[in-house]
Amino acid sequence: MAMQPHSKKRVCYYYDSDIGNYYYGQGHPMKPHRIRMTHNLLLNYGLYRKMEIYRPHKATADEMTKFHSDDYIRFLRSIRPDNMSEYNKQMQRFNVGEDCPVFDGLYEFCQLSAGGSVAAAVKLNKQASEICINWGGGLHHAKKSEASGFCYVNDIVLGILELLKYHQRVLYIDIDVHHGDGVEEAFYTTDRVMTVSFHKYGEYFPGTGDLRDIGAGKGKYYAVNIPLRDGMDDESYESIFVPIISKVMETFQPSAVVLQCGADSLTGDRLGCFNLTVRGHGRCVELVKRYGLPFLLVGGGGYTIRNVSRCWTYETSVALGVEIANELPYNDYFEYFGPDFKLHISPSNMSNQNTPEYLEKIKNRLFENLRMLPHAPGVQVQAIPEDAVNDESEDEDKIDKDERLPQSEKDKRITGDGELSESEDEGDARRDNRSYRVPQRKRPRLDKDAQPKDDVKAEDSKDDVKNVSNMEEPKKEVTSNA
Amino acid sequence: MAANMYRVGDCVYFETSSTSPYQIRRIEELNKTPSGNVEAKVMCFYRRRDLPNPLIQLADKHQMAQSEDSPVAMKLKKICLKTPIGEEQAAQAVLDPAIVAMEEESTELPGGGEGLPPKQRHQAKHRELFLSRHVETLPATHIRGKCTVTLLNETESLLSYLNKDDAFFYCLVFDPSQKTLLADKGEIRVGSRYQTEVTNLLKEGEEDTRTSSELETLVWTPAHGLSDRQIDQFLVVARSVGTFARALDCSSSVKQPSLHMSAAAASRDITLFHAMDTLHKSGYSIEAALSSLVPASGPVLCRDEMEEWSASEANLFEESLDKYGKDFADIRKDFLPWKTLKNLVEYYYMWKTTDRYVQQKRVKAVEAESKLKQVYIPNYNKPNPALINSAPNAASKGAVLNGGTNGTAAVSPSLCASCQVTNSNHWYSWGPQHLQYRLCGSCWQYWKKYGGLKTADVFGESEAEVVRSARAEGEETALSVSHRPHRCTVVNCAKEFKLRAHLARHVATAHGGPGEGARPVMKTRAAFYLRASPFTRLARRLARALRRPRHFARSPFSPINLHQVKHECTIAMAGLGGAEMRGAGAAGVPRARGPVGAVATRLAAALGTAAPRAQEWLVLTPRDRMPTPNHVAFPKPPKAPDGSLMYERVLSRAEQEARRNEAAAQAALPAPPALKRRAYDDVNGLDRGAGGASGAREGGAPPAKRPNKHPAPMQRPSREQYAAMCARAQATGQPLPAHVFAHVNGKPTNLTGRGGRRHVISWMDAPDDLYYRATEAAKSARRSLSCGDLRRGARAPWRAMRGALVGVGALANAGALLGGGALAGAGAGKAAGAGAGAAPLQLVILD
Repeated sequence: MAMQPHSKKRVCYYYDSDIGNYYYGQGHPMKPHRIRMTHNLLLNYGLYRKMEIYRPHKATADEMTKFHSDDYIRFLRSIRPDNMSEYNKQMQRFNVGEDCPVFDGLYEFCQLSAGGSVAAAVKLNKQASEICINWGGGLHHAKKSEASGFCYVNDIVLGILELLKYHQRVLYIDIDVHHGDGVEEAFYTTDRVMTVSFHKYGEYFPGTGDLRDIGAGKGKYYAVNIPLRDGMDDESYESIFVPIISKVMETFQPSAVVLQCGADSLTGDRLGCFNLTVRGHGRCVELVKRYGLPFLLVGGGGYTIRNVSRCWTYETSVALGVEIANELPYNDYFEYFGPDFKLHISPSNMSNQNTPEYLEKIKNRLFENLRMLPHAPGVQVQAIPEDAVNDESEDEDKIDKDERLPQSEKDKRITGDGELSESEDEGDARRDNRSYRVPQRKRPRLDKDAQPKDDVKAEDSKDDVKNVSNMEEPKKEVTSNA
Repeated sequence: MAANMYRVGDCVYFETSSTSPYQIRRIEELNKTPSGNVEAKVMCFYRRRDLPNPLIQLADKHQMAQSEDSPVAMKLKKICLKTPIGEEQAAQAVLDPAIVAMEEESTELPGGGEGLPPKQRHQAKHRELFLSRHVETLPATHIRGKCTVTLLNETESLLSYLNKDDAFFYCLVFDPSQKTLLADKGEIRVGSRYQTEVTNLLKEGEEDTRTSSELETLVWTPAHGLSDRQIDQFLVVARSVGTFARALDCSSSVKQPSLHMSAAAASRDITLFHAMDTLHKSGYSIEAALSSLVPASGPVLCRDEMEEWSASEANLFEESLDKYGKDFADIRKDFLPWKTLKNLVEYYYMWKTTDRYVQQKRVKAVEAESKLKQVYIPNYNKPNPALINSAPNAASKGAVLNGGTNGTAAVSPSLCASCQVTNSNHWYSWGPQHLQYRLCGSCWQYWKKYGGLKTADVFGESEAEVVRSARAEGEETALSVSHRPHRCTVVNCAKEFKLRAHLARHVATAHGGPGEGARPVMKTRAAFYLRASPFTRLARRLARALRRPRHFARSPFSPINLHQVKHECTIAMAGLGGAEMRGAGAAGVPRARGPVGAVATRLAAALGTAAPRAQEWLVLTPRDRMPTPNHVAFPKPPKAPDGSLMYERVLSRAEQEARRNEAAAQAALPAPPALKRRAYDDVNGLDRGAGGASGAREGGAPPAKRPNKHPAPMQRPSREQYAAMCARAQATGQPLPAHVFAHVNGKPTNLTGRGGRRHVISWMDAPDDLYYRATEAAKSARRSLSCGDLRRGARAPWRAMRGALVGVGALANAGALLGGGALAGAGAGKAAGAGAGAAPLQLVILD
């Protein structure tokens, strides 16, 4: 379970230009348009050109019924705002109507969101990519035959089901402020998927996610819930995220990870009550990415759309391992980001009700549960192909025969970085500092992190220190496992 | 100061009554009222003491079950805890037999309270709250500090709450209207209907049926061999092509008259996306891409919704947005049917970046100013009315005079009711007044914040009961009914009741008393009247020039020069004889001018016009010529031969009950007091009001109809309630609710028109807390008075009645009936004084 350096990965990104124009209805907080805003930011930051961009197919009913019940999908397919009255009974049964309204193009929206996650999972299975991103996905509340919390079709479950074809164990992590109940419920009784959800708990939607909910049957101890209180800030979040995730990685040893990046855990969210900044949120992506496992990033909640697009843009850059400037580039939606027009946001002064003692107690209880897992499951036959994913990038290039100039790819990436920072009007001197040109590093794995950054030097150097401590645990595991 | 800044979402203490503990609320909204005050919309948390007893027991059981991880616990976790509402036997809740079986075990607090010493266990109870969905609005000025309320997590020990000030926890949700408790917890369901079938791993050699090419279309790849600079250059070219294309396109050139604007329009993201697509499609060959940007048909023009829309469409959109809000389906249907819904949504989000939207937003921002995010409430420094001012006490006792700690020590033979401490800077009276409990400063703070005393052993669990009497003070809401049993205080009875209302009813029906010690709710204002002496009256006449009544009525505070008046009077009086003086004194008596008709005739004659006949409209219509209504709403019942009305009287429920009780208890009550000084029912005690009324009924013949006895608010409040409302309104300076308006001035009309059995005395006017109730004898005596006598009595209640046959009671009655409030009080006072010796008169003073 070695952690990979903060390195360049092949990143595939799924986006359909239609997705931003679906509209849940007047006054509804869920705004698919945030995905389009993110997309435009990615283009203007120059991140677009560094990824493989895919337009996903529309998931078919057959694909969706891998998880969902037939009649539920049939219902979703046939319901429209103009024939709603004929479906009163079913709407009630499937919980469609209030939180989950019937809107124009509802089914297509579900198709695109699910299609992206499924295609991304297949991509990872084929080892054609290391990180896949589908900001249109992440609808984690949807149940087998029930819509819930603005979610109709659970693209995450569909994606995980796809991953399970190649991966014995898949880890699902949920950093949405809401509990990932749909995914947890879908895999509540299996030991092949561990669901880990960090969420606000206590008179909060959806009401599930108690510390005591740990799974059932074979899946007992394979559901991990971290109930949190209002005002989680970056520091507390990391203080609980890092130990839990590294413990989970150590005990569960997944071969693929799905991270739901619901951005409603950010400060100032319309529905959320946490106090995370874009940096703290993105930190989770960074930490998970380090494990170097096939990694699927999906969207989720997020109801203050300017911050959602900030967050997901930043997280895309983290996935790519590219630094982006704090100054937002001009784009169609530039005015949304006023008055400061910066990428990063600052936390509010709300009080954090999660005391260190509380977090410590939660953590200890979860550790106790994790200890109940059959430790270090036997290495399976499948583990060998998994390792191939983590191999040298040259191997991958050979696999992808359709790529045009595999040999020169590396060079291109390097120049790409330089060009970007130049185009974002950074000094040339900074480029010289790039550590990949400095071989005499003691900890080569950390070198990308050690780069001095233009706007927030102090903070980053602090991060660096943390990284060291975080790195230590997984490293030890490597030796113990070996 | 951050500590005094209260934001939406904060949990705070609210003081709604000076003597009862703070209420704990969470701020949901802060609104500025037009008058500039800030109102907080708050969510209610309830304390244990606010919940009915059976619910508390249930909650404890629930928690205990949860702490053990038994199947029973699991079952309990999911049920909604319910108790029947109200009645005495309410204790039995909806419970599984299995759960009932656990009842014998000690009922304790959640989270392993068992490890705690008793004192802390007791205090932990004060930290438990119950969340509710009940929302109310309170003035923000009543905020008295912040606290935290968190959902209890089972990993936490209660000690962590006890060690922190102002920290509370909750586990359950209380529904005050249904009187139910609910565990606020969703559940993950288990079963094939909820879980997914987990796909198996592909077996060795098994082919995956999925092919990426069916699932996705590549739009861009980073493996293109172009440098970033090349791409940037290409993007610039694409934009310039776009600018040129706009110059050629006539519709665009109209909208963007300047090159500048065209260039800006060509730099929008759609052009860039198209350029990237073109580059991808031409195999990342800049050359090929360039040529496809400028095909034979002319340069490529990419326009997004923002540009596509004409000015008139934009106006239409804004107009429709104004009208329909963001209901794009309706907007499309009624305003812009040629656009698709997607067009509208895309345009909307782009429109939001424009100046037009920013302007609109500013307008909205001004409107939204009344919604505050936070409010600053300074520390509340006014002394609590329960604060005992120790110095005068000490002085009266003749102990140490110089106050301070010595002084208080001298006054407090009683210790702090909670911690037994004898020294404190401040003392607060606590509990019912007659018990004279007091709390030291820190215990008082504890009481206000946590709603209990620090130690349980002083009063045991009865503390809440003690407190309950204190609540009689008033402003308490009906909701905070104590869950402790209420014991009847009458000797040899000592029945216990769950609710105070039941006790009150019991007392009223079984003992005939007006409930527990009925104390006046408020001190009424001192009434006064000016009795003019003959000299004064004379002076008014003589010094007429100085009087200027209109002027002084308008400015009652400007002084009258009394010396000058006196001086003038003496001068004038010197020149007057005795008879003249008498005449001057009597000048106030109205001249006999004769009937109006005569005056009119006289005036007409003086003016020289013909004497008018009496106007036709002035002449009364004879009774038999009066129009009869088509429909008589309340026809009179038929008359019996003796002239009385024939109808069957319907007994009210309370009466029936009372009769039954009377028959059963054989309560030998003393003869009905003829004259009774009675205190009024307190403001909040609806139930007690009922008790008082029934007490009155016991005293005489039962009234035909009881005043509103049911605590449930009815459209028309009872007389007692009117009185209370009037009093409260007067005290708080607020207007009365609309339906009371007919009864302002404390003189509600007699609604039933059944004579003077039930008197509503104005709280404003009565000088003392008593009123006079006429007995039959008094009434007959009154009837023997002439009308003139009655009037005279009313005008001059201090004067002895003429006529030997008239009883004192009648005299007082005259005052009570005719003079209204102030005079009634005076008259009754006199009557009471005179009646002290009279045999049939009995004075009952209930204070």
